[in-house]
Amino acid sequence: MKASYALFNGLWRENPTFRLVLGMCPTLAVTNAAANGLSMGLATAFVLVGSNMMVAALKKVIPDEVRIPAYVIIIATFVTIADLALAAFFPEMYKVLGLFIPLIVVNCIILARAEAFAAKNTVFMSALDGLGMGLGFTWALTFLGIIREIIGMGSVFGINLFGEGFVSWIIFILPPGAFLTLGLILAFFNAMLSKKKKVQCS
Amino acid sequence: MKNLTVKLIIVLALISVGSGFFLALTYVYTIPHIEANAARDQEIAILETIPGAVSFEEIRGTDFPMYKGLDDGGKTVGFSYMVEGGGFQGMIGLMVGVDPEQEIITGVKLLSHAETPGLGARIGEEAFLGQFLQKPVSDNFEVRDDVDGVTGATVSSKAVATTLKRTLPQALEQYRVSGGAK
Repeated sequence: MKASYALFNGLWRENPTFRLVLGMCPTLAVTNAAANGLSMGLATAFVLVGSNMMVAALKKVIPDEVRIPAYVIIIATFVTIADLALAAFFPEMYKVLGLFIPLIVVNCIILARAEAFAAKNTVFMSALDGLGMGLGFTWALTFLGIIREIIGMGSVFGINLFGEGFVSWIIFILPPGAFLTLGLILAFFNAMLSKKKKVQCS
Repeated sequence: MKNLTVKLIIVLALISVGSGFFLALTYVYTIPHIEANAARDQEIAILETIPGAVSFEEIRGTDFPMYKGLDDGGKTVGFSYMVEGGGFQGMIGLMVGVDPEQEIITGVKLLSHAETPGLGARIGEEAFLGQFLQKPVSDNFEVRDDVDGVTGATVSSKAVATTLKRTLPQALEQYRVSGGAK
């Protein structure tokens, strides 16, 4: 396998959010503003790279029977490190996202990549895979956040776009808006990909 | 079989020990920053909620952590107290500044909370907290009537208002009793 494949796989072809549909809990919960989606994505990317590398490094040592608890300990360690580092060095961001950081532990992308990729590949390839998947998750969350923030609050990254007269659709920054936006984007992706397939066939 | 069990236990124990070691390292390295952040936030909040204050002193013997704001001549210009009230998902920590002579609120700052990002968390914005400025200590603080709540975050907005209503008269009373008034 080529290094570029491992890196770009997560960005598009196997994008965790839009193609694998993994890690839906943080995807739905934090994407009510672009900045929230971006920072949640980056924190998850950090954990993914760290846990992927550690799992790949320890894959010969960890017996099959206890691999899941071992992975969970490794993932939880990186999440706690990310949590403490965020609280220490980015207190403003931590005030907004602090609640969701511990939830990265249960993000199934991370366990899925540990099990499906890192346990079978080298440390270097696993790091690339973690980076690609993490950045794929990040852009997906940021994209969702941008759409929801524009419709729900009339701003992007906190910058007001439309001025006073804009009537925002509050529902888009509330939980139902997450489902609506994600559903429409998934429909769009599926439609696009199925069209592509038809062209190839004919 | 027995060997395998022993091996599983040893491997998991070693991973846990390693994890604990890294966490301890991270903790030791980050905790001074985290505490400094909290202390700085608190200091800024005390000075911001008491207009004219350039330094502050802790008042002892009160139910709330309470601080007396001093101007550059060492004169007391007001006090502020720290209070927690139940919010939508956890405790909401507030710093409230009061002018004890006119019995009005001089500032409210959000210190800590666990409200929903983008919704309840917006109770920290000036547009919401600014509404409490200059209100008398004895105000009713009814969301809708006296102050506008944050859209989509009625519970969080009400939590701030009721916490203020519940604690303000008590805080003023204690400030006077504990000799802060002299």
